[in-house]
Amino acid sequence: MRQDYVIEVEDLCFVRGEKVIFDHLNLKIRRGAITAVMGPSGTGKTTLLRVIGGQLKPDSGRVLLNGKDVCTMSRDELFRARRDIGMLFQTSALFTDMNVFENVAFPMRVHTDLPEDTIRDLVLMKLNAVGLRGARDLKPSQLSGGMARRVALARAIALDPDLIMYDEPFTGQDPISMGVILTLIRDLNDALGVSTLLVSHDIHETASIADYLFVIADGKVIGEGTPNELRDHPSSRIHQFMHGDPDGPVPFHYPADDFRFDLLSEVE
Amino acid sequence: MENLLRRIGGRTLGRFQTLGRATIMWIQAMGWIPKTGEWSLLIRQVYSIGVLSIVIIGLSAFAIGAVLALQFYTQLSRFGAEDAVGAGLALVLLRELGPVVTGLLFAGRAGSAITAEIGLMKTTEQLSIMEMMGVDPLRRIVAPRLWGGIISMPLLTAIFNMVAIYGGVVVGVQWLGADAGGFWSGMQSAVEPLEDIGKGMVKAAIFALVVTWVAVFQGYDCEPTAEGMGLATTRTVVTSSVLILAIDFFLTLLMYGDF
Amino acid sequence: MRMGTIEISVGAFVLAGIIAVLFLIVQVSGINFSEADTSYTVTARFDDVAGLRPRAKVSMAGVNLGRVRAISVDTTYGEAIVEMEIDGEPGNLSADTSAKILTEGILGARYIGLSPGSEEDTLKDGSEITETQGAIVLENLIGQFLTSLGKD
Repeated sequence: MRQDYVIEVEDLCFVRGEKVIFDHLNLKIRRGAITAVMGPSGTGKTTLLRVIGGQLKPDSGRVLLNGKDVCTMSRDELFRARRDIGMLFQTSALFTDMNVFENVAFPMRVHTDLPEDTIRDLVLMKLNAVGLRGARDLKPSQLSGGMARRVALARAIALDPDLIMYDEPFTGQDPISMGVILTLIRDLNDALGVSTLLVSHDIHETASIADYLFVIADGKVIGEGTPNELRDHPSSRIHQFMHGDPDGPVPFHYPADDFRFDLLSEVE
Repeated sequence: MENLLRRIGGRTLGRFQTLGRATIMWIQAMGWIPKTGEWSLLIRQVYSIGVLSIVIIGLSAFAIGAVLALQFYTQLSRFGAEDAVGAGLALVLLRELGPVVTGLLFAGRAGSAITAEIGLMKTTEQLSIMEMMGVDPLRRIVAPRLWGGIISMPLLTAIFNMVAIYGGVVVGVQWLGADAGGFWSGMQSAVEPLEDIGKGMVKAAIFALVVTWVAVFQGYDCEPTAEGMGLATTRTVVTSSVLILAIDFFLTLLMYGDF
Repeated sequence: MRMGTIEISVGAFVLAGIIAVLFLIVQVSGINFSEADTSYTVTARFDDVAGLRPRAKVSMAGVNLGRVRAISVDTTYGEAIVEMEIDGEPGNLSADTSAKILTEGILGARYIGLSPGSEEDTLKDGSEITETQGAIVLENLIGQFLTSLGKD
């Protein structure tokens, strides 16, 4: 029975060393929509993706993926669950010892027993969806950053997952590749009927594409809603974040003495 | 004083921790038996670890064999014992220099390459995304390299010994004029298969295990930055070399101690 | 690089390694495969076997006849018991063959040299050689020399 929410994070607590990364975090990712998790750098957004993918175990709390708790899954269950998740890292993380074709074919070879002919056709289809069918024989080192990201995306959708997770997909992109990525994320979500989870701190791009947003700070959700709702959110923190104000609840000045006092003091 | 003790204690605990992590990694990776599709992974590793090391091993072997023969001949001819060149050369190579020098060269060439490769994969998050795709990097990346090293190094040691002895023949017999008959028969009567060749190969196998283990672990465990990779590669070479020499010392005592 | 070429070179590499090992075993240690053929055991007692090791040569007139298999000691009589393996069938050595512990060259390894006897009977498997001369120990020699000097 399909839930309305593809992911439910309940009361997640995660501490690394002395730093509290998640403090009873709660959020629900709706099925079939593009959901974005935003927040300042270092709030553990990438960590969240890894917990959802089962790579990291939280200190307490539950993470339900299609109703099943990821943290208590057996190895086989996790293997099968991962088949239905496509992941795109910030660094593309293409396998450097293989060419583009092999990279996209990799998940197919791992999770299926499809014959080589079928795999070939599927790979070409995926590459075509991202516009790189002609680049199939290139090696990752020969690709530009934007192209590498698109190949990584083709690889992420290789097995037609029902959840695609993007880790900072907009960082450092030139306007054209930015446009390409935005289009692809939207089109894939709608055409393939997947659920999309996007983690980013690029307000403008994220707000233009997301159906629902969560803003995380200090290990908790401090605001959620559609992009429009958040733009007019009463909280000053969220306001500063959404509008990119240099000063506000996150101050411009690093704590220091009174300015006049500092200037007039003697040299020590 | 207290500070110093605390730092030493902390460092030692840190070393134990590292050893623990390394052991866990090893145990998880060693239980790898290639499934039908995975043999090519192993073969590829034996190629890049073993086959590509042949040149440096061969050249060094010839040079060392030649130099040893020269030195032995010079010294032994002072006692009129030139016939012992063959024996001395073979025994020193089979028991000590073969395994040790091959190990050191291997650590420098293949060991550092392994560390750099795995370190790069870690730094560019390839290991991480592989895991997210449901592929265990220990099976796919670490284990083939571990076994590749364990298979390659003893073979390289045997090749080293053979080429070095040949180098000694070229210098000792053909150049310096030692008697070929005396050379070979002296060698053959002094060398025993189990005692010298066998124990030498045991050393080679142990070194193979140690060097490959260190190389793989350093790559797997390194800090995922460019700086971390460089440090890891250096550490592989240094740690491997020190371990080889230390273990050789103990093995030699153990194996040949009752002079 | 294509997988085919890689496989070939790996195969060649492994083959080279195996050949190297065989070379070492055959050519370098000179292992004699006929040693697997028949042999019989003969023992001998010596008053001093200083320097003699297991697997040392047993030879007659410089020709290798066998190997020392084991060395043990009889603490009652203070004698060393040496077990030797002689190649071939019993019957090539006369019952009064004598055994001496000799040294190869000046500084070389110790080995056992056999000298033929005159009896018709031959040594059998398990027989003991009764005529033996122990190793020449330098200190004893010097001691003898000094004593003989002192006598003058």
